[in-house]
Amino acid sequence: MTAISYLIVMNVKNAILDTLRHPLKLILYLLIIIGMVYGAVMGFAAGDTDAGEFIRGLTAESHGRLLSGVYLAVLFFISIPVMLKGLSSGTSFFSLSDVHNLFVAPVSERLILMYGIGRQLATMLILLITFAAYGGMLINTFNLEPWETLLLIVGIGLMLILVQLTTLIIFTLSCCHPIRATIIKYIIFATAFGSVGIVVGNLFINGITLENTFQSITLPVLEWIPIAGWMHGFIFGIMEQDTMRMLIFGVLIIVMIFSSIVALANFNSDFYEDVLSGAEGYHEFKENIRSGKMSERMLMGDRKIKIGKTGINRGFGARAIFYKHLKEGSRRSKLMFFNINTVVLILITLVIGLGMRIAMPAVDPTIIYLAVSIICAYVQFFFSAASDWVKELTKPYIYLIPDSAVKKLVMAAATGLIKPFTDGFIAFFILSAFIRGELCDILVSALVYGSFGSVYIAANILAQRLVGVDSTGGVFITFYMSVIVLTLLPGIILGVVVLSQFAGVFGNIATTLFDLPICLWNMLISAVIFLACRNLLDNSE
Amino acid sequence: MINVSHLTKKYNRFKANDNLTFTVSDGETAVLAGPNGAGKSTAIKCISGLLRFDGEIEICGYKNKSAQAKRILGYVPEIPAPYELLTVWEHMEFIARAYRLENWENRAGELMRRFELMDKRDKLGKELSKGMQQKISICCALLIEPKVVLFDEPLVGLDPHAIKELKLMFGEMKEKGTTIIISTHMLESVEDIWDRVFIMMNGRIEAERSRKQVEETGENLNELFFRITEGRTGEE
Repeated sequence: MTAISYLIVMNVKNAILDTLRHPLKLILYLLIIIGMVYGAVMGFAAGDTDAGEFIRGLTAESHGRLLSGVYLAVLFFISIPVMLKGLSSGTSFFSLSDVHNLFVAPVSERLILMYGIGRQLATMLILLITFAAYGGMLINTFNLEPWETLLLIVGIGLMLILVQLTTLIIFTLSCCHPIRATIIKYIIFATAFGSVGIVVGNLFINGITLENTFQSITLPVLEWIPIAGWMHGFIFGIMEQDTMRMLIFGVLIIVMIFSSIVALANFNSDFYEDVLSGAEGYHEFKENIRSGKMSERMLMGDRKIKIGKTGINRGFGARAIFYKHLKEGSRRSKLMFFNINTVVLILITLVIGLGMRIAMPAVDPTIIYLAVSIICAYVQFFFSAASDWVKELTKPYIYLIPDSAVKKLVMAAATGLIKPFTDGFIAFFILSAFIRGELCDILVSALVYGSFGSVYIAANILAQRLVGVDSTGGVFITFYMSVIVLTLLPGIILGVVVLSQFAGVFGNIATTLFDLPICLWNMLISAVIFLACRNLLDNSE
Repeated sequence: MINVSHLTKKYNRFKANDNLTFTVSDGETAVLAGPNGAGKSTAIKCISGLLRFDGEIEICGYKNKSAQAKRILGYVPEIPAPYELLTVWEHMEFIARAYRLENWENRAGELMRRFELMDKRDKLGKELSKGMQQKISICCALLIEPKVVLFDEPLVGLDPHAIKELKLMFGEMKEKGTTIIISTHMLESVEDIWDRVFIMMNGRIEAERSRKQVEETGENLNELFFRITEGRTGEE
């Protein structure tokens, strides 16, 4: 058995044995598989959802264009950030263990490269299975044949491999050549902005209507944009039985794959150095995720930070932690609480709000605010992982500071509690400039968004209290998610009850009626959890 | 003074520390020596209040997790963990504020000067090398003028000047009556500063010697260390 075959066999064997030896892990995997199968079956079997009803209400032409446009957007969304990252860090074809053990061994470099690509294919296969869980929903919503759904999923998988290969080429070409890197970066940006420009330009020329939106996102010229466009052309060529289109883009993709492999194997056989920094970065990232650590480098990359005015200048005892967080926040963003998360939130509220307004012109604004506030509250979960409080737990100082534990807990979480409220007010007031709604709906939407932030932090604290700060990622996430669901559920039930009892009594303010009870419950339960877990900082376990 | 009584730390069924009992008096420098995995760092983390444990630990008569104990305890972790978005000087300020220190600036300046950090004063934590980060860790621990300091492998990663300076500081702290515990697996790195040594193996203290004992008997400490850690025999 060759070294690489041995490595693959032992890795697979040990992964299976490790799973069998850890019953909790096994249960978790089984639950995930059951969840995916259930999701796939239910998605297929589910009756009319609002989204499905809206999509099926479209003309056949718009229907196809919506699917085509969304698919193209997904392909672009996957490819552009990965390729930009390739400029600085290479790819995740190899782990640091591969670099330290395999790269120094007397094994052919080409064989190692093939092993890396094979590994990546295996990862993609797992990802494809995950995507397959949404297959039922796709079939149901877009009235697709199962083979068409499978094709769409395979297209995404192929796209991911192609992007990884391209990333490695980009990294090899740009490594140690700043001018080349800048040129490649400009080309990627020009492609991205050019594509958006074509869509927006077409929309403005022809007028902003639903039909024109669908027509703009499926302009044939977009399919000539390398990789994402080609993949789109290939997949939809097959689906629409357009042989010429399928052949042209299929050949382009095959040429791209083979030329990339040949280029990597011949032009730069010494790709080890190129991979090393990427592998080290990826290793650090994985280790941090595993141990629950969130470093600034993970959040901000190697961006140069302007130090500005120095000194914390305020606060003693536990309060010093809060003012330190403010200082750190001002270094991450000059506008303190206004950062990339705020921008993303504004974009989400605008896209969903305006999208609903264009798609359903007759719908009442209160329904739009209701939908936007709920979706944003859900999205906020992904922002909460990087809050100051989580990072503070990884340093020893919070445990050592001679102050009361509850005070330290509140002060360490304070910036994380404040930020969702400021984000909520900014985003919903900007949305109100485009969609006129009742003032109480706008205020309550912002408040409920903020209150979800409090619940996410409180649930994190409770989960840490239940399973320990040092627990492994999987166990912790399982508990954390369970705590979130259990904590939020009573508030949501309360909201449904109040909405059903008082809808129409106080005018058309569905958002306020549904969100306000949730907001009040969230604040109450968060305060209770903070008090109940006040001893969390007694030790770091 | 540190009083550790029947300290046991378990991870499930594994005992990282098994019934440790020892005392380190005021002005005494004790070394926890032992190979990797002997339980030194775990003991240090228990004393500093970072871990839960069975048994009792007192710092100058206070329970180790009390605010009074924390106020007089300095801790230098094995892996430095500075704040990536605070400057070196701001680390000093943060500690001063967190511990409610007064007139700390001169002392902070002096510590930074001795560790050659003055020119890095406005550098962010994330911009520093591992060695520099270790120096910040030491400065933060010593800024509070602790009565008890715990050092977990303090010399790893330090440059020769910083090692020399830290050893000088050990002497100065000793004169002031500060209790010092140093964890290390390299006895020779601390041979000129220790008063008491505890040789640990498999979570237990296998041997304890004072400098006076060793000087009187002429026992070779390194020989004892290897005899214990290589499993030839424990304490006679």
